[in-house]
Amino acid sequence: MGDGIFLLIPILFPMIAGLVILAIGHRIARQIYVGTVLVLNTITVFLISFLTEVSSFTLWKFSGSLSVMFRFDGTGKLFACLISTIWTVACIYAFEYMKHEGKEKRYFAFAVMSLGVLMGLSMAGNLMTLYMFYEFMTLITVPLVIHSQGRDALKAGLKYLGYSVLGAGLTLIGFFFLNFYGTGTAFSEGGVLDLAKIAGNENALLAIFLVMMIGFGCKAGLMPLQAWLPTAHPVAPAPASAVLSGIITKAGILGMIRVTFYVFNPDFLRGTWAQLTIVILALATVFVGSMLAYKEQLLKKRLAYSTVSQVSYVIFGIMILSPQGLSGALLQVIFHAISKNALFLSVGAIIYKTGHIYVKDLKGIGKKMPIVMWCFTIASLSLIGIPPTGGFVAKWDLALGALSPDYGGVLGYIGPAVLLVSALLTAGYLLPIIRDAFYPGKDFDYETLEKTEANAYMTAPLILLCIAVAGLGMFPMGLQQVISGITGAVM
Amino acid sequence: MGNNYLIIALVFFPFAAGIGSYIIGRFHQLARDVFLYFALALELTGACCLFATVGTVDSFVWEGFASLGLHFKLDGFHISMSILASFIWLMTTLVSKEYFKGARGTNKYFMFILFTLGAMQGVFLSNDLYTAFIFFEVMSFASYPMVIQNETEEAIDGSNSYLGFAVFGSLVSLMGLFMLQSILGTLQIDQLIEAASHVTNYALLYVASALTLVGFGVKAGMFPLHTWLPQAHSVAPAPASAMLSAVITKAGIFGIIVVSCNIFLHDAQWGLAIVIFGTLSMVTGAILAVFSNNIKRTFACSSVSQLGFVIIAIGMQCILGEHNALAVRGTVLHMFNHSLLKLALFMGAGVIYVCMHTFDLNKLRGFGRKKSVLWFVFGMGLLGLAGVPLFNGYISKTLIHESIVEYIGMMPEQTAFAGLMQTVEALFTFSGGLTLAYMLKIFVAIFIEKNPDNQAKLDAKKTYMSKLTMGVMIVSGVILPIIGTLPYWTQDLLADTAQGFMHGHAPASPVNYFSLINLRGAAASIAIGIIVYFLFIRVCLMKKNENGIKIYADVWPSWLSIERMIYRPVLLRLLPFASALAARTIYVAGDTAVRLFRKLLFFKSKDVFTPPTNHRFGTYDAPVQPKRIINKSLAYSLLLFGVGVVAVMLYLMIINAS
Repeated sequence: MGDGIFLLIPILFPMIAGLVILAIGHRIARQIYVGTVLVLNTITVFLISFLTEVSSFTLWKFSGSLSVMFRFDGTGKLFACLISTIWTVACIYAFEYMKHEGKEKRYFAFAVMSLGVLMGLSMAGNLMTLYMFYEFMTLITVPLVIHSQGRDALKAGLKYLGYSVLGAGLTLIGFFFLNFYGTGTAFSEGGVLDLAKIAGNENALLAIFLVMMIGFGCKAGLMPLQAWLPTAHPVAPAPASAVLSGIITKAGILGMIRVTFYVFNPDFLRGTWAQLTIVILALATVFVGSMLAYKEQLLKKRLAYSTVSQVSYVIFGIMILSPQGLSGALLQVIFHAISKNALFLSVGAIIYKTGHIYVKDLKGIGKKMPIVMWCFTIASLSLIGIPPTGGFVAKWDLALGALSPDYGGVLGYIGPAVLLVSALLTAGYLLPIIRDAFYPGKDFDYETLEKTEANAYMTAPLILLCIAVAGLGMFPMGLQQVISGITGAVM
Repeated sequence: MGNNYLIIALVFFPFAAGIGSYIIGRFHQLARDVFLYFALALELTGACCLFATVGTVDSFVWEGFASLGLHFKLDGFHISMSILASFIWLMTTLVSKEYFKGARGTNKYFMFILFTLGAMQGVFLSNDLYTAFIFFEVMSFASYPMVIQNETEEAIDGSNSYLGFAVFGSLVSLMGLFMLQSILGTLQIDQLIEAASHVTNYALLYVASALTLVGFGVKAGMFPLHTWLPQAHSVAPAPASAMLSAVITKAGIFGIIVVSCNIFLHDAQWGLAIVIFGTLSMVTGAILAVFSNNIKRTFACSSVSQLGFVIIAIGMQCILGEHNALAVRGTVLHMFNHSLLKLALFMGAGVIYVCMHTFDLNKLRGFGRKKSVLWFVFGMGLLGLAGVPLFNGYISKTLIHESIVEYIGMMPEQTAFAGLMQTVEALFTFSGGLTLAYMLKIFVAIFIEKNPDNQAKLDAKKTYMSKLTMGVMIVSGVILPIIGTLPYWTQDLLADTAQGFMHGHAPASPVNYFSLINLRGAAASIAIGIIVYFLFIRVCLMKKNENGIKIYADVWPSWLSIERMIYRPVLLRLLPFASALAARTIYVAGDTAVRLFRKLLFFKSKDVFTPPTNHRFGTYDAPVQPKRIINKSLAYSLLLFGVGVVAVMLYLMIINAS
């Protein structure tokens, strides 16, 4: 059983509280209620993370190796803290934003319930629990994608569902095999492979690994299953796009980390063709995503392509299979989550206030909405990786991990080079927006200019995210300490 | 070892002051100006006070900042650069008030110049390439608003170049730094020599350092990365151009020095490469300047050329090895002399612009007649930049020239290498001549020739600058001859202070700047300059217009620019097109597969009826007796069956083969 029954609190509390939202009709009351629930949940997650050691809890045992089991270790804690914080920030932003989308009750109910599912995902202690919450997550976030109920949204929702189920199905294949080849399916540092059974079947296992990674890669936007992402993210309401891009993609990453370090073993994978394949896929995705973002004119879609590219930085970092590479990957998880949320939320604020969705319409927007565009700027700088923001710190670790002699090889040089080409493209698709926003040109009409700054519900979350991305970039010591605990445990 | 908090205060105070000035400026313009003057004066005082703290506590380490931490250290060079930056910022800000009268967005501008100053201090005081890089990036971005300030079409175009090159350069540099960190294990400047001596794979070290050099080379206007500089510097407001030319370019030089004088201390091969790039910049810049008819563009091209001289000196340090005293001192002194000269000249250009709203040489003809202060400042700038004896540029150019001559003298026989160095020496003298020629072009046009249209109107402008501006102009003009005539008490002192950073020593015997042989070198340059001016500029570059008046013609073909011919078409059109095509092809593979599968699954034979209410699903319509037994859908089924059989066969073959 384990002694961690308290682990159920952050999972069940939002789920039940989310259902209650459906019964609250009054807007202000609902906002207070949602805010309280989310803040309380975040505090709970942080308290559990910092006050307890690794705790585990088995909820239900079907038979032999099948059980619903929770285990809250370093990786889980990092993800749970990140997810619950960003979720809270995005939902507070949504208080104002969703006024113009309508159907607020439904949106908040599903948003809060999704948080519970995500907490379950972070705390999942074995493959079966992970798979279960992974599928829950897909299903419960579909309403967020199709919120507007337009034809495009419905089509995108179906695409999202199709790809996600396919991806999850691929991971399920792996689950069946690992049940046989492993000593169990409960996650543990150093993996659960039964080396005696594997002997002679290494290639089969590597193939399984590849299939599982591609399956989880679907959520993370890894090629070849990336196509749903730029379709589904832009059609959702801005706060939903923000968490879809910033957080839900990271659920795929969590799955990948679990498979690589807690089910398989980095030593087993190092130097194999499976590692090589995924590194190549990740680098190709990094480049392709950036390139398409550079060419895209619809701003939200541009950001979605950018997510495709940026999340694959993380996958590259994981597959370096060295402590520094993993540290870079986890830092990238955090800083991408923060900065991409900030970007989507600022774009949301622009849409909310002006209705502009194309890049070319944003000339002079910095004069109308200075705070929002300043936040956009800081988040962009982090996404490009300009010091002293967080993106730079992450990129430094990723590149040095790749260049270290343990990884070595030509890919050790190609990897960082691709990351930098992608950074150049990132600069190419973000900086012109900022330039036009603040410097619309000499003949810009200042007479008819009116300030349309978003209100505090929207700007406060943005400012908070920007302070986080710049502050944590300058003072990453605490974060690095936490992360070195994780990397030290698995390698 | 404790920490010297004055360093960190110098770096971060401008950031705080920038925000302060923005807030104050929202309420009161005059209060903001006063605040700015005080803040900059305080910064300058602080920088000077650094000298007092040297020897006691001369470093500052902030562990963990942005992961690897910030490392600062004091020595003569760092402090001198820091004082130079603060000084130039103060001087240019004093004239900014008049320059920006009535302009929009000055509040933002002043905030960003203070940010830039903070970042400059961070670069110049850093003891670590990592720290330098962080502040270098901050500087690149913070100085962008300075370039785009005017928001005209040219300003936006120039600032695009500026930012494009800056981002490109810094990312290439970052790759170099990744590699250096992984090869050397440290980026701390005072540990680089030691770390580099243990390196076995030298080829990799060259690659890494060359990549690192790109970002710094961009800022220093090193050929072929110089193309942004004339554009950006000529479109920025004049006080900003002064800062850009005088100080920000020196951040690039700083980086080149760090790499060349530490990792490749006394490495002749590296030095040769640097000398070649320096020579190319020197010549290109000078030629572009001769052709230019826009005074600010001329000064900007001149910056490329003068920085080329400095880069040659850095290369000569490496080539000369232990006996590089002359090159070391030449590097330091030419950096400083160039800064002071460009400060005076760009501020002069600014004063002209405030009156005339143009930098076009033809329109400015005769503007300077009977304007003695302007005449004095431009005259000092001309003489100093051209390296005329008794003026400041002469001293540093002589040092660099002597270092090349000394090396040629040391070589025993005629080799290809000796021939190369002789070419460099000849080009050096030639570029010195061009310097005089393009400065004469401007000086003669503004101060000697008469304006064919409205000379009387120009002469009538008696008060063309405020008292404050005049004071600043006089100060920046007077410094030049003073340090030029008294090199032993001024320039030598500076060189002694700063040379330690480049691991240089004082020369065995003091350099006799005014000896016959040195004067002869200068005389050769001056002669070339006069010949070029009278036989080329006045003959080939001046054409008669329809009224029969000789004007300065724009002879340089507009298409002849590396940026317009190669960089922009390739980097903005060709590469993105090819890569986007490739990317999109790869990208749609998944979607195409899905579409194909759907076509297979929902293949519609003729009888399938799709209800209009639900286009996703098809049902069979009311049963219709098929007239033909074999129809299209049977053929299709057979086809699929065939594919299946082939797949099974292939599988069996593979199984049997293995």
